[in-house]
Amino acid sequence: MGPLSRETWAQRLGAFRASPSAFMAGPEGEDLGRDLLNELRSEKLSEQTKVSLLALSLEYPAQLWPDAAAAEAAATSLLDTLVLLPPRPSALRRPLLLAATTALAAGDALGPTSGASRRLLPLLLGLASGRDLGRGFGPASEQRPLQATACECLRELESCKPGLLGGCLGLLRSLLGQEGPVQPLSLLLALALRNTLVIQARARAGLQGLLVAGDMPAAGGPWNWTLAEEADAHLQPQAPSWPAAEEEECGLAVLEPSPEEARELRAAVAQLLDTSYLLTPVAQAQLLWLLGWALRGLRGQPPVLFKPQLVRLLGTAQLTLLHAVLALKAAFGEALFTAQDEALLLRRLTLAAQHPALPLPAHLFYLHCLLNFPENCPLGPTGEETAPLLLGPRLCRGLLPSLLHDPSALLAHLHLLCLLCAEDEEKEEKGQDWCPRHYLGELLAGLRQRAALHGGPRALATLCFQASYLVVHCLATQPTVLTPLTHGLARLYRARPALAPHFVDLLDRVGPELGEPLRTALRQEVVSRPGRDEALRWHLQILSKVADGKAPSATLGFLRAAAAHCTDWGLQQALLQVCRALLRAGVGEGLADLLQALARQLEDPDGRDRARLYYILLAHLAGPKLGVALGPSLAAPALTSSLVAENQGFAAVLMVQEAPAPMRLSVGPRRAAGPVPVLQLQVEVLEPLYSVELRFRVEGQLYAPLGAVHVPCLLPGRPCRPLHLPLQPRRPAPAQLAVRALFATPAGLTCHAHLPPLPVNFADLFLPFPRAPDGDKQGFFEELWDSCLPEGAESRLWCPLGPQGLEALVARHLDPFVVVAQPPTSYHVAIRLPPASRLLLRLEAAQGDGVPVALRTDDWAVLPLAGDYLRGLSAAV
Amino acid sequence: MAQRAVWLISHEPGTPLCGTVRFSRRYPTVEKRARVFNGTSYVPIPEDGPFLKALLFELRLLDDDKDFVESRDSCSHINKTSVYGLLVGGGELWPVVAFLKNNMIYACVPLVEQTLSPRPPLISISGISQSFELLFGIQDFLHLGQKNDTELNTKLNQLPDLLLQACPFGTLLDANLQNSLDSINFASVTHPQKQPAWKVGTYKGKPQVSISITEKVKSMQYDKQDIADTWQVVGAVTCKCDLEGIMPNVTISLSLPTNGSPLQDILVHPCVTSLDSAILTSSSIDAMDDSAFSGPYKFPFTPPLESFNLCYYTSQVPVPPILGFYQMKEEEIQVKITVNLKLHESVKNNFEFCEARIPFYNRGPITHVEYKVSFGQLEVFREKSLLIWIIGQKFPKSMEISLSGTVTFGAKSHEKQPFDEICIGGTAYLKLHFKILDYTLTGCYADQHSVQVFASGKPKINTHRKLISSDYYIWNSKAPAPITYGSLLLVRCHN
Repeated sequence: MGPLSRETWAQRLGAFRASPSAFMAGPEGEDLGRDLLNELRSEKLSEQTKVSLLALSLEYPAQLWPDAAAAEAAATSLLDTLVLLPPRPSALRRPLLLAATTALAAGDALGPTSGASRRLLPLLLGLASGRDLGRGFGPASEQRPLQATACECLRELESCKPGLLGGCLGLLRSLLGQEGPVQPLSLLLALALRNTLVIQARARAGLQGLLVAGDMPAAGGPWNWTLAEEADAHLQPQAPSWPAAEEEECGLAVLEPSPEEARELRAAVAQLLDTSYLLTPVAQAQLLWLLGWALRGLRGQPPVLFKPQLVRLLGTAQLTLLHAVLALKAAFGEALFTAQDEALLLRRLTLAAQHPALPLPAHLFYLHCLLNFPENCPLGPTGEETAPLLLGPRLCRGLLPSLLHDPSALLAHLHLLCLLCAEDEEKEEKGQDWCPRHYLGELLAGLRQRAALHGGPRALATLCFQASYLVVHCLATQPTVLTPLTHGLARLYRARPALAPHFVDLLDRVGPELGEPLRTALRQEVVSRPGRDEALRWHLQILSKVADGKAPSATLGFLRAAAAHCTDWGLQQALLQVCRALLRAGVGEGLADLLQALARQLEDPDGRDRARLYYILLAHLAGPKLGVALGPSLAAPALTSSLVAENQGFAAVLMVQEAPAPMRLSVGPRRAAGPVPVLQLQVEVLEPLYSVELRFRVEGQLYAPLGAVHVPCLLPGRPCRPLHLPLQPRRPAPAQLAVRALFATPAGLTCHAHLPPLPVNFADLFLPFPRAPDGDKQGFFEELWDSCLPEGAESRLWCPLGPQGLEALVARHLDPFVVVAQPPTSYHVAIRLPPASRLLLRLEAAQGDGVPVALRTDDWAVLPLAGDYLRGLSAAV
Repeated sequence: MAQRAVWLISHEPGTPLCGTVRFSRRYPTVEKRARVFNGTSYVPIPEDGPFLKALLFELRLLDDDKDFVESRDSCSHINKTSVYGLLVGGGELWPVVAFLKNNMIYACVPLVEQTLSPRPPLISISGISQSFELLFGIQDFLHLGQKNDTELNTKLNQLPDLLLQACPFGTLLDANLQNSLDSINFASVTHPQKQPAWKVGTYKGKPQVSISITEKVKSMQYDKQDIADTWQVVGAVTCKCDLEGIMPNVTISLSLPTNGSPLQDILVHPCVTSLDSAILTSSSIDAMDDSAFSGPYKFPFTPPLESFNLCYYTSQVPVPPILGFYQMKEEEIQVKITVNLKLHESVKNNFEFCEARIPFYNRGPITHVEYKVSFGQLEVFREKSLLIWIIGQKFPKSMEISLSGTVTFGAKSHEKQPFDEICIGGTAYLKLHFKILDYTLTGCYADQHSVQVFASGKPKINTHRKLISSDYYIWNSKAPAPITYGSLLLVRCHN
């Protein structure tokens, strides 16, 4: 592309500035960086146009030269342009230096391998030290401004690569002592000093004479990158001088310089401070921040060096200076500020926060500083805004809020007032003349009055609610504040129901201290005015937020009256939203009628459907379940159908979900009584379960189908009575029961789980015979014994005895079934096996290790089971 | 301690965007540091368009506050300073220092040299105060002697060059932009050594020193038993020292007559080299007693070239210069008003001008006025619903004047008549505007002979004094009025 005219460039730059990203995405974007560099050497363009091109490169190097290689090339080109300038005065030298510096620093190209860096750094240092660099660098008249500019460039490079100038500290000191420009050199030296100290402290190294090594790097010689590399070639978050940051975090490990180094360091700092009055106020402030940072981590460097500056600084109205003093206060605390100094600083700050000659933004910043004042002996928790101890009510008098304040000023001053009210309560009203709480009440009333203005700007309403929120936040425990606030807000709602969204927002954000009474007050406010009302939609919005189980009849009455006026979809949805809130709150009575009526009478079919759905839910779901089904996360009704949105919410809730077994079931001790065998089940649960239903199925149809067992509630750690499961065997045989559990979780979900199968043993089916007639037990037994044959079966077997002997064995396993006993040698046992079998045992003449057992049964199929049972008895223990 | 970007935005209500970016400047090397320091909480500086939109939204300067918007109107979205968080590009840009002054929004984003999450307190961010100074500096430059839009545009066009001087890399070197302008022009002068950075070049010519004391008096008068009236004097001493030499030393003493009111809350210019502790501690926070320091107030300093404010002070004079009452009663579509004003005998009865403005807010236009004044003339601005009582140069011998009358209003139309959030119902005020030359209410003066100048040649010394009113309100005593805590407290003290 050929050279462009001034106008074309102006147009191009304008388009670029309007939206850099759009321009760079367009057809001209790619060439812009290259064109710009070329045009700087064009002889057709005026210097002014070239300056505007350079200005662009100062702001958008990342867009013009997006990677390190491009940035390096650009910096090289800019330096070439600089040396090619004719030796007459030119407005381009300064911006060219700035542009080359920016390109390198912003483009990540600065480093020992970069050719442009190797050219730029010695050039800047040469200029900064006022050396004659030859005619190429312009007439003598430009030397002074270029010297300052070179210092600025070096400072920026040092900022981006800390430690870069670590080797030049001595040189900079000597320049500052000579005739160099004071401000640029002071700031450069202070920054380099601070960075060096931080890096050396991290490396646990001393200053190593860096402060006195006075020589320049030889022209063309290599630059010393050691310190910059030690700083990891990365920027590290710098040590904030604020005490809130932990010592370790700030990375300023404590550095202990040798006495000699300490003396040199003190001299350097004193040198900087002594000439600081020659700096502009903002530069003085920077110097103080940097030196404060630098000395904070150093042992044996008393901060008294700063003391002579303080009185001068405390008298000024300059924001940066007072802020810098606060930074010193935070950094050094008592070491620099005695209790009296602290009191004076606090008074000056209080004064500045209300001085009529200062602008509002400054007032607000000072007020912030007051509430975050770095006290010598802070009492309260750190990190929270508090009024400093010394800031008594008297000092605060002029800092209290007034309705005439701007919103942010009012909130800032209100916060202070709240803090005073909180303290006031702690002091238990010492009969003080002034009562901040009363003033607070009047102020809030004034804010509400303004918020109630019909047609007033929303900002006024917002301010009123922000103030209320702030007050609740600070004074949640003070009923003397909260009660009038609640009533006042309720009155505000009455006056301007259109503020409903603000009320809903407030209720969402405050705790129960205000939330509970305000809900009640607003509900009463709304339901006491039924009927057609312009504000119906606001009333419904409020009700859907505040309707709960309390006083449902009034709410339902209001809704019934309102239903007739809900003519459009939006109002109907709002109405149903309130019904939903009532459903969730567990209101049943009366609501069903209303929902039924709505399902019939609403004009919009979507509304009718939703009402019907709610009715069905109400009719079919128990309270807690309903609460969960209508969870709070309903999205705003979709425009097409509110039903769809609603369904998404609870479809999952109404389905039974498969879950891992949350309980353990086991068979407890046998009962052996009653007409049928009953299993005693013991349950342990891992989490609370509600409405538990256990279902059992017998494999192989050995028993009649089993009924389910219901338990209303099972809690972990709380023992539960054993559950009884009656069995109706079709054959006297052991079996496996498959078990499933249905239950509700605390979250309200219904779940279903398979439990491990439950074994029913042969002995679990044993029942005793009805009691034998008195006196003739033997006869009763013999009768049973005889009746088994001839259809039945007879057997004899050897029942091994354990060490406990026959008596114990019988007592443990067969006691309920013993008819005739002659302890310890002879027992006659009769067992009933449902549905219709019997098993008779004669255990007689026990020997040392066993007892011979004669057994008869009327059911031959029982015989092997009985054999296994008896043989296993001694092992069963 | 640096700025990432700075903007000037003119607020233009009623236009589609409600504003235009008039100037912006980004600092990419600072931005690079921000990315490192802020880590995962880093949010890049947006382009001008999205920034404008987000800032106007946050400052409530878009014309769309009809609906409740949670991100702006929520009660927990509390802003207690001029520092904001802006939602841009999915992140929140913070801290954005911004304020509106004379329809211009001044905004910048300082570098925070740590992570932004959790947000550090503003007091711990060194760049915050620098942001304010930069913006105040730009504001002073734009509005110093600026008369019209053309001048504003000229100055806006100078800004890029000025910031290239005053803030080349985002670190502010001098908040006094006029100084930077001079330094561009002075560039060819050979600088002697130890030149202060706040003084470019030296003065050549006849030595002279001008000192001008301007006192502003503000007042809130209620004419009520349970609310005390308040008034306060705020003084500013402006100097221009045309003296030869690099660092001439000057000492100015402010004196009070025997019955003068002590100066308090004194804030001085940074060029003042030392300050008596009595000056430093004299404060309106303390109860006044006879032992209060009453001068002379000595200010030794090395002056800059330009005119500067040597010091500010406040003072509590025993009586307000004009004491009055205002009674307004509403009767359907008209109001009855009675005003009485009395000049205190100690005050110089020679005004450059004196008038009382009586506005009627939240009402329709004035359709009819019947009135009687004991002195001066009444001007009626019907559409603005405003009466101006022109009192003129002198109060009559009795020192007391009155106005009574009936004002009738037409139907209210929201577009034309002024809305006011304070003046609801009977709440109303009149505001006094006056100026008295060669006079201060405290009696404070700078004696020509007390000015010491350590420089070659005996300078000519000019002194000026004036008193002007500022926020001088007299509230309708027949209705509630906004009060300050001081008004309540004073009554308790007096009773």
